[in-house]
Formats: sequence, C-alpha cells, structure tokens
Amino acid sequence: MLRFIVRRTLQLIPTLFGLSVLLFFWLRRLPGGPEYALLGEDASPEQRAALRRALGLDDPLAVQYWRFLTRLAEGDLGTSLQTGRPVLDEFALRFPATAELAVAAMVIAVGIGIPLGYLAARRRGGLLDSAVVGGSLIGICTPVFFLAFVLKVVFAEHLGWFPSAFRQTPGLSATRVTGFFVLDGLMTREWDAAWDAILHLALPGLALSSIPLAVVVRMTRASVLEVLGEDYVRTAEAKGLHRHVVRTRHVLRNAMLPVMTAIGLQTGALFAGAVLTESVFAFGGIGSFVYASTQTRDYPALLGFILIIAAMYVLINLLVDISYSLLDPRVRVS
Amino acid sequence: MFIPESARSLSITASALILVLIVTGCAESTRDGGDGGERNETQPLVFAGAGDPRTVDPVLTSDGETFRVTRQIYDTLLAHEPGGTEIIGGLAESWEQSDDGTEWTFHLRDGVKFHDGEDFDAAAVCANFDRWYNFTGNYQNSNQTYYWQNIFGGFAENEDEDTPDPNFESCSTPDDLTAVIEVKEPSANYPGAFSLASFGIMSPKVIDQVAQEEVTGDPGSPVLPSYTQEAGTVAGTGPYRLVDWDRDAQEVVLERFDDHWGENAKVKTLIIKTISEEAARKQALEAGDIHGYDLVGPADVEPLKDAGFQVPVRDVFNILYLAYNQEAGEELGDEKVRRAIAHAVDRQRIVDTILPEGGRVATQFIPETVEGWSPDVTTYDHDPDKAEALLQEAGQSDLEIDMCFPTEVTRPYMPAPQDIFDIIKADLESVGITVTADSMPWGDYIPHTDSGGCSLYLLGWTGDFNEAYNFLGTWFDGYDSAWGFRDEELFERMREVSTTPDADERTALYQEVNQEIMDYLPGLPISHSPPSIAFAPDVTPPAVSPLTQENFAEASFS
Repeated sequence: MLRFIVRRTLQLIPTLFGLSVLLFFWLRRLPGGPEYALLGEDASPEQRAALRRALGLDDPLAVQYWRFLTRLAEGDLGTSLQTGRPVLDEFALRFPATAELAVAAMVIAVGIGIPLGYLAARRRGGLLDSAVVGGSLIGICTPVFFLAFVLKVVFAEHLGWFPSAFRQTPGLSATRVTGFFVLDGLMTREWDAAWDAILHLALPGLALSSIPLAVVVRMTRASVLEVLGEDYVRTAEAKGLHRHVVRTRHVLRNAMLPVMTAIGLQTGALFAGAVLTESVFAFGGIGSFVYASTQTRDYPALLGFILIIAAMYVLINLLVDISYSLLDPRVRVS
Repeated sequence: MFIPESARSLSITASALILVLIVTGCAESTRDGGDGGERNETQPLVFAGAGDPRTVDPVLTSDGETFRVTRQIYDTLLAHEPGGTEIIGGLAESWEQSDDGTEWTFHLRDGVKFHDGEDFDAAAVCANFDRWYNFTGNYQNSNQTYYWQNIFGGFAENEDEDTPDPNFESCSTPDDLTAVIEVKEPSANYPGAFSLASFGIMSPKVIDQVAQEEVTGDPGSPVLPSYTQEAGTVAGTGPYRLVDWDRDAQEVVLERFDDHWGENAKVKTLIIKTISEEAARKQALEAGDIHGYDLVGPADVEPLKDAGFQVPVRDVFNILYLAYNQEAGEELGDEKVRRAIAHAVDRQRIVDTILPEGGRVATQFIPETVEGWSPDVTTYDHDPDKAEALLQEAGQSDLEIDMCFPTEVTRPYMPAPQDIFDIIKADLESVGITVTADSMPWGDYIPHTDSGGCSLYLLGWTGDFNEAYNFLGTWFDGYDSAWGFRDEELFERMREVSTTPDADERTALYQEVNQEIMDYLPGLPISHSPPSIAFAPDVTPPAVSPLTQENFAEASFS
C-alpha cells in the first residue's frame, strides 16, 4: 500500500514538470503582455518597454523559465503582477473560499444523492424512481450559473431568506484562523460568524451541487441495481442472512466503488464549476482570480494557480484510488 | 416500507439541515430599520466596486479601484469641487504659480491632523515629495510609480535608461504653512497633478516608519512592501481612516476620523467590497446586501430607476473615438476618405441607442467641460450622400477596410463595444465601404491597436483632471504608431502649448489646436458617455463626480 502511494506521488513530478513547460511557453505565446493591462490606455511605448524590462520579460524564454524553476525549487511561485503579492499567498487567500464551496456542494450531493439513489434502485419503476431519474436529468442539463441565478432571484431577492452575495455579512469582523469561515467560526467559538458563513454558503452550495448530486444519484441507483442482481446477493439472502446485513455489507459497500470514482472526478470538476458560481454570488475564490489574471496576462499568477490546481487534481485522484483499494482488496492485489 | 438505517438517517439529517437553513435564514433576514441619523452611527454603508484595491499607499498604483479607497483616507494639496472638475483647495487653501510656471507655492490649511495624531504642515508636504523623488530600486518600476513618472518625470537618480528625466526639482518650506514646489519646466500637467489621488499626503511619521521597506523580489516578480498590504500601517488626513482590510472577505473597512479638518463624515463605518461581476453587483443592491455600486451597465440604468433605486448621472469626462490609422489603412492618408467616414457614421444613433442617459455626441477630442474646448471646430454631420460623393472624389468608391473592436470588456466611455461596432459597420457599408471585422479580447486589443495593427478601431480615454493636455497630449504630441501619421506642425503646436505656463493663454491655444485637429481629422470623436453609479433608495448619495472621485463622507442614510 505504501509503495503504491509513494509511486503514485512520485508520478506527480514529471506530470507537473511537463505541464509547467507547456503552460509556460503557451502563455507567452498569447498576444499582448502585462505591460498593456497594467499600464492602461495612455502609457507611452517607452513606459511599456521599461516595464517589460523591469519584469524580466525581455530575457530569452529559456532564461525566464530557468528563473521560474529555480524559484520553484525554493518553494516560491513568484509574485502576482496584479496585486504585487506572492502567488502562494494569493492562492492561500482564495483557496478556502473555493474549497469551502466545493465541500458544501459535495456534502449536499453525497448526503442527499446516495440515499436517494439507493431508494430509487430499491423501488425501481416506482414513483420515486421516476422522479429521481427525471430530476437528475434536469440537474445534469441545467447550467450551474442559470440555477445559481434562479436560486438567487427567488431565495435572496424575492424571499430575502438568504444573502445574495459574499462569504459573510459585510463588516462582521470575525477572527481568521484557516480562512475557512465556517471552520474558523467553530474554532474560535464565534457561533454567529460560523452561522453567518453557513447561510452564505447555502445558495451557492446548492447551485454548485446540482450536477454532482445528479451524477451521484444516477451512479448509486445504477450501481445498486447492478449489485442487487448479482449472484452473491442472492446467495447471501438464500443463506438467510439478515436483510439489513445484506443491504449494507453486500449491496451498498460493493455498489459504492463506481460511486467513489464519480465523487472523485466530480470533486475535481467542482473546482471548475465553482468559477461560475463564485462570480454569480461574488464569493471571491480562485476562479475569479484566475479569470482576472488571464485578462491582465498575469503570467506568474496563472502559471502558479494552474499548477497548484493540477497538483490538487492529481492528488484527489490518488485519494480516490486509495479509497478504492480500501473498499476493494482486489485493486490492491492487481 | 423499508429504508436502510444509514440512508434513512442521512436523508433525515439532510432534510432537517435544509429546513433549519430555510427557517433560520428567514429569521436572520433583518434588513435596515431605524431612522437615518441612528443608522448612520450603527449601520455600515456598504459600497461595491469591481476590483480589490492594490495597495494602501496610493503613489504605488494607477488603479481607480485603489483610489476609491485611498481618496477617503488621504487628502491631496488640491481637490475638485464636489460634483465637478474645477480645481479648488484641498490641503492647500490657496496656491499660486510663478510667471514662468516653474514654482508652485501652496498656502496650507492650519490645524489639520493626521490619523496618527501628527500635525500636518509644510514639512509633511515636502517629506512626501522628497520621498517620491528619491525612490530607488523596484520603486522606479513604471508599474509601481506610474503617475509620478508621468507627471514629474524620473527620480533623483534614474536607474533605467528609459525612465524620463526628472522634472521635479525641489520642495521647500519658507514657513510652517507654506510649501514651495519647484519644477524644471512648466507643464500643462500642473496644477491638475496636485489633485491626483496618487499624490495623497501621508503622515511623515509613517514615512519614517516605512522608509526601510523596499519593493523586493527578482525581475519579473516585484513584491509590494508589507506596509502597503494591511490596515493599521498608514495615516492620512482624510475623513475616514482605514481600520480593516479583510482580504478573505474582500472588504475594506473605513471608520470616520473625528478630527478631520473639514466636515466630519456622516456615516460612521464605510465598507468597500469587491464584486467583479456587473450582474452580481446589481443583484446585491437589489437584494439589499449593499447600498451602492459603481460601473452600472447602461442597460441596467432604467430598470434600476423603475425599481426605485437612485442612479445619479455623472457629468461626462471621457471620450470614445474611432481612430484612423493612416499607416495600417493607406487610404486613410487621403483627407477626403477621412471626412467621408466622418459623414457616414451616425453618431447620434450611437448616443441614443447605446449610451446611458446624459451621453453626448463629441465634436472634438475633449469634453465640453474641459478648458480649451472650442465651439468653432469643423463639425461633420451625418450625411451619407456627402460621404458617397467624397469617396467618389477620392476614387475610393469600392473601399475595403478593416475595423477592430474589443470583446469581453466594457469601458466607462464604451459600453457594449460590439453594438457600437455594428452601427458603424452598417453606416459605412451603406455608403459603399466594405468593412472587415476584427474582434479580440481587451488584453490583445490594446497591443494590437497600439502597434498599428488596425486601420479603424474604437478606443477612448477618461481624463484625470481638467486639462486639455491630459486628453490631447495622450495622442497628438508626437508620432504615435497607434495613429500612424506625422504632422510636425501639429506636434510642434502641442509641445508649445503644453509648456505655456499661463493658463488663460494655454486655453486659447488649445482652442486653436482643437480646430486644427478637427480640420485635419486624425480620427472621429464619437461620444462622451456618463459612467453610472447606483444607490439604494434609502441613501443620500455623495455628489457624483465626473472624475469618479466620490467623497463618501458626504453620503448618509436618509
């Protein structure tokens, strides 16, 4: 098991190296440069030239890449040109918002999706099943930003039940420990702040959960149906095992394998989907920052953010594989 | 009916959670209440801009979102009349210039306090100017000290050959309340420059404290000093002091400074939030999460008004133009073609259908409110027949030309670039000009047009202060690859007028230059567009400023 984990982790290095080379040279091939975004419409060509030189953008690309690599070796991803702050700091600042949102969405998706999918499978062809199948189809087809918009108009603007924007009520001064607002509120026992953060998570979390929820429901339903038809389930039932044991130990556990994969993949996709949700709810995570960085050709920020996200994606997949092997010993053997 | 335990408890928990969320969300939803005076003290006024501020030291940026915050914290030597562009006293009660325009004497306000308790005096003014002039290392990066370099040239010791020679000479203090700033050459940039947000006056005690802080980092990776990134490090003399910059929540919290030299701010706590999406800003206002926001989409103005929100109109202080690049499109070297295009475009239609209320057709490259605007310039009415005739005379009745416009962007002077392009294209095609569209994102657009990549293209400019040179000098004081023409006579006139010390004389000269430019017609000025700002119905907004320099100390709950 340890070897498996080490090997998979080491695979990260060539993957990220290759990605960094591709990204670095591809980004520089985009027309325009930060000297245009940063200096506005009226700067003189001399001012732009001076800025390019100051930013080291006139050096040969190989030299610039080498500089990037040597800095990276020291754990330094460079500085965002937009904000003048280290890229890592910027990431650390924005990641909790996106992660909190993704976790909220995943909690909703898994918490509702697995039981619902299971129930639908157990009562195949029934009213609930039809509703689940139909509903999940709508969930998959509805664009997240549209759903986000509808939720916002109905629950924030018209009913006023939930806030329409931000991660917390403006001016609510809360202590920051991790940057995860709910967690911070619980850790510092500022219950108001934690509750405020949960309220602010409700609508964007619900919107973002629509696709993973639908996927989890469908995967669970299909997988449970498949397992229910397996010989060993019939055997177990025939042996006179308690139905409850059959259903949890035999059916659910085995049915969870493909669902875990789906959850893993969806978690990765959530970070991408969060971009739109963040902007609709002015949530201020990594998505809006990456978008702004492409606008200003903020090379260091783009490169740094994308590399970190890629690394996380690979790591999430690794975690999925590990949980897989825990659930199913056969994976470890092979 | 059987439901597995685990699934049943999960679904029960989930439904319970949602129910609780809904019910308590309802209970938590307490909005507003109380009379204005009480609310001013207890409720923060929340205003949303489109981007995070970059620094709390305004000299290190050229960014309007930053200035929105720093303008509340710092005062400048000179200011603008509320809601207008006329220059009035700020920290200086009065000022005068020497005859040759190289010596500026400022008579300072007495009894002004900095937020850190220090007294404001002439030495404080000089401490600021001397600091800026003596910047070294990465501070000399044009990205860090853009306005200083634009207005005062370079530094005591320039470290880069491209940095301009300094025009700043010295700052002296004949007495405690008089500061004299000497420059090498007169410039049309003065006195307007002394009102720029970048040159907000900071407490000398802070300057001493941050003296050792550097812009660090390698080439390509300058890191702003830490004092510029947090609350509690800086002090100005403005109506608000900075008490919190919560980057996680993307908000800056400002609190009323009760020892302000002018009238104290009405609202005790002012919060500036970041909402980058235009639609999200609008919805946050509608949902009552914020009390105002800037950069309202033109299409939202009427719906917001209908819904009872306030959308006060700022006076226009910008220009949208159709540039003719005579090197990219050689036919544009012919004056008849340039005039034909001017007659072909129905600018009134652009103003009527695309710009928000208060928009105007431009007759020249500066708005009417700027000194030097001339009522006597040649104008080009919408006249397709004349355009066709001119094209025929020029032998260009089958003219084909490319035209660029940016996508994914709105600028204060250019809402909906694509829609504006569509109108112009249709107008040009109706007189027989074939237009090839070339659209690209903003990040690519500026370099492309700058380097002369488009024959026709849309661009504009918002002024920094009331001085024609701030507009005209941007484009016409020498050869510029963005325009691709050489007219030494015009360039020489521009240089002459920019170094004329006497303001009245300068105004007269600008009027002549404007007439010359509109005879020559290097491009077609299209429109002036008022950038919109919106407020909740229960707020008394500050006087809206054409320079987008709202003073939030004037705002209150009503």
